[in-house]
Amino acid sequence: MTQKRHLPPAPAVAGRVLDAGLDLLDRQILDPDAVPVSTVDDLELTTPDDLEHLDPDSPPIIESLLTGPILLTRIFGGRLPDSRFIRIPWKVVADPGTVVRVGVAADSLDASWTERWMRDHVIARIPGGRHDPE
Amino acid sequence: MKGIFAVALGVLTAIGGFVDIGDLVTNSVVGSRFGMTLTWVVLVGVVGICLFAQMSGRVAAVSGRATFEIIRERLGARMALANLSASFLINLLTLTAEIGGIALALQLASSIEPVLWFPVAAIAVWIVIWRVKFSIMENVTGLLGLALVVFAVALFFLHPDWSALGSQVLLQPSPHTDETPATYWYYAIALFGAAMTPYEVFFFSSGAIEEKWKKKDLAQSRLNVLVGFPLGGLLSLAIAACATVVLLPKGIQVESLFETALPVAQALGKIGLIIVILGFVAATFGAALEVTLSSGYTLGQFFGWPWGKFRRPASASRFHAVMILSLVVALGILFTGVDPVQVTEFSVVFSAIALPLTYLPILIVANDPKYMGDEVNGRATNFFGLIYLGLILVASIAAIPLMIVTGAGA
Repeated sequence: MTQKRHLPPAPAVAGRVLDAGLDLLDRQILDPDAVPVSTVDDLELTTPDDLEHLDPDSPPIIESLLTGPILLTRIFGGRLPDSRFIRIPWKVVADPGTVVRVGVAADSLDASWTERWMRDHVIARIPGGRHDPE
Repeated sequence: MKGIFAVALGVLTAIGGFVDIGDLVTNSVVGSRFGMTLTWVVLVGVVGICLFAQMSGRVAAVSGRATFEIIRERLGARMALANLSASFLINLLTLTAEIGGIALALQLASSIEPVLWFPVAAIAVWIVIWRVKFSIMENVTGLLGLALVVFAVALFFLHPDWSALGSQVLLQPSPHTDETPATYWYYAIALFGAAMTPYEVFFFSSGAIEEKWKKKDLAQSRLNVLVGFPLGGLLSLAIAACATVVLLPKGIQVESLFETALPVAQALGKIGLIIVILGFVAATFGAALEVTLSSGYTLGQFFGWPWGKFRRPASASRFHAVMILSLVVALGILFTGVDPVQVTEFSVVFSAIALPLTYLPILIVANDPKYMGDEVNGRATNFFGLIYLGLILVASIAAIPLMIVTGAGA
């Protein structure tokens, strides 16, 4: 360490800065009634035209939160066919805090289809399944 | 008046809910083989569970996030998945042990083979989880578990040589035993694992959300933990002391809950035996409920499913499906003819191995102002938290080598 290297100052940003890896990935996704939808298992970004030389004026933006089987390919590697992607479009995200809040009901999203399937085919059919505990 | 009642109820359920099959078996095995020489481990374990249960409850109440959500957010998906696999397997093992424990306790009461009690116990656990409200479930099993106080009463009626018991606590190792140092340390880890089992933290933090704790409930929860758990620890020590007084001199090996109950029967006769069996059933049943719920909590929180008993089953369908499956698997394991007592001994040691991955993220998030605001850990809590993390790490690393060297404590 002979000389302190001066880094160029960070560009000014409008609004809040989120670290996608730290503040988005693996967070819980809740709907307006605080019903869990899923977790942020991965993110889908727009692909810039020229991957070699990124244009600082039009950086990649987040298109959607991904969930479901994508988690396994994120951990173990490999690629999912596009048909297996479960997307939550970024435009329904209301507030990315310690949890990611979306503005639409959990039941209206594809992300919770397994919950509905298990409810309709198994749990709701067992006596008492639709009642509050006493 | 209502306030005092609530405080007393909380403390009493914490005492009654502290002891589970792991504590019952391990303490009486240790008492019958090592006397009171491992008392210090119970004390260290109780302080540890107080510290981390309290911390996880505080994190849940302030941030609204339960332990496994935090584990995933802080360790990342990969490490959290490894942790989930380990915790879930240990949970299954513990569940098997608890259901087996219910059956063994009912066998004492009825002399009907445990094999016939396994399905009865599992179905009873499921019905309670399916239909009974969280607070009622907690309070009833906790209060009935207080019947285990009979061990402390029995100890007085056995008229032990108190100074000899006391000197065993301080003198290391006990003059009575010819156990090797390796088995001594193996059982030290087993006792530590029994006191600090991870499911207790999953259950405690998720329970805080089930009961909708807010910041103002923290004082109450702190009191429950800081008074209830140490008194529960005293119950564990009373079990060990009873075994030390009655089983150790005669060289009786603990092979089932019968030997655990023997000192009480000797001291107090039939009445004592009835009370102790009631205590066994309540303690193992209560723990079986907590462990079953924990298996749903861990998976639900990792994958972001709706979970919790405050929702009706149809609104937390995958959560309930996981719990039903866990019970079925535990039953399957029991029907292979394994000895529930041995399953218990393994489950507490494996618990010790998985501890660091559970407790580290709690400590990290308890210091994160984004989650905790101004309720972050104080310096003293962090100091002790770090010391315990060191202890937990050592225990976790030493567990498997000791298990191999001692032939699982044989």
